Amino acid sequence: MHELSIASYLLESVEAQAQELGAQRVLAINLVAGERAGIVDDALQFSFDLLTPETLAEGAHINVRRTFMRFHCAPCDCEYSPKVGNFSCPDCGAVGQLTADGTELLIESIEIET
Amino acid sequence: MSVQHVKIVKNVLAGNDQTAERNRARFNAAGVLAVNVIAAPGAGKTSLIVKTMAALGARARVGVIEGDIAGSIDTEKVLAAGACDAVQINTGGNCHLEAGMVQRALDDLDLDRLDIVFVENVGNLVCPTHWALGEQLKLCLPSTAEGHDKPIKYPEIFAVSDVIVLNKIDLSELVDFDRDFFYKAVRALNSHAPIFEISCRTGAGLSAWADWLLNQHPHLDTKTERLHHLSGAPGM
Repeated sequence: MHELSIASYLLESVEAQAQELGAQRVLAINLVAGERAGIVDDALQFSFDLLTPETLAEGAHINVRRTFMRFHCAPCDCEYSPKVGNFSCPDCGAVGQLTADGTELLIESIEIET
Repeated sequence: MSVQHVKIVKNVLAGNDQTAERNRARFNAAGVLAVNVIAAPGAGKTSLIVKTMAALGARARVGVIEGDIAGSIDTEKVLAAGACDAVQINTGGNCHLEAGMVQRALDDLDLDRLDIVFVENVGNLVCPTHWALGEQLKLCLPSTAEGHDKPIKYPEIFAVSDVIVLNKIDLSELVDFDRDFFYKAVRALNSHAPIFEISCRTGAGLSAWADWLLNQHPHLDTKTERLHHLSGAPGM
């Protein structure tokens, strides 16, 4: 439940950008949130809505694009997403190595009214 | 009035990361090794700090930043156990420490008189993982009593830790801890972090852990010499 903290950083960033762009209102925020960033989308929107009254971002909708945790299997030389509770390669059963995928927490773009 | 779609691409936690970098610069400038201790409630974070101080003895001066939702019990414990200095952060409900909280705590710590600072994070295996504090070492402290499946359930903390200390090793048989399962899962997530098996209760493994920790200090010898030079005292 760190979404309230994340929402406050998100609001600070988005407001600064919106002001710089001369926006009247922020309509939407497009986020990339990796599985490994541990964000619950509804909790983030809920927290954001608590913080935004009387700001440029009041009522803005957060659209989340999810990226996923991946492993690399050396014997098969392939990448795979793990099944729940199991990090093994679905093809050969070897335990792969975690890749860097799924860690992002980025503001990709915003939709503003000018 | 028109609607515009503006590309940005910015890390949401960039503000926290910048503050963390400033904290790291302060630790580095003072020659202090900062360790962010992350664990579930009850895994033994405070016990690890207390026992590590005992194992280090006179070889390092230890300071502690205690992060708790409320209270100062842990600060009192580490001071009683010989910490040179300790600062309490009460997060008031927040489930993790942030770089700004540590920045304020640093104003109350005399870093020049310390070699190692433990930052005891709020008991939680999820949220603290994502907030850089400026530490040079991120330490994950699972315990056998929590079960061998913790790396599967909380993969990120195991993936990003620099060192893993497995506590309550004396209980492993009693709680059916499957060591192979644990190691296999950890190694899938993190191939490089050393894993120390310890027991804060029996003292098993603590001296090997403390020796390793001391070796992570970049320039303890230089700093000790500098301090002795400043104070005019002979070397230890």
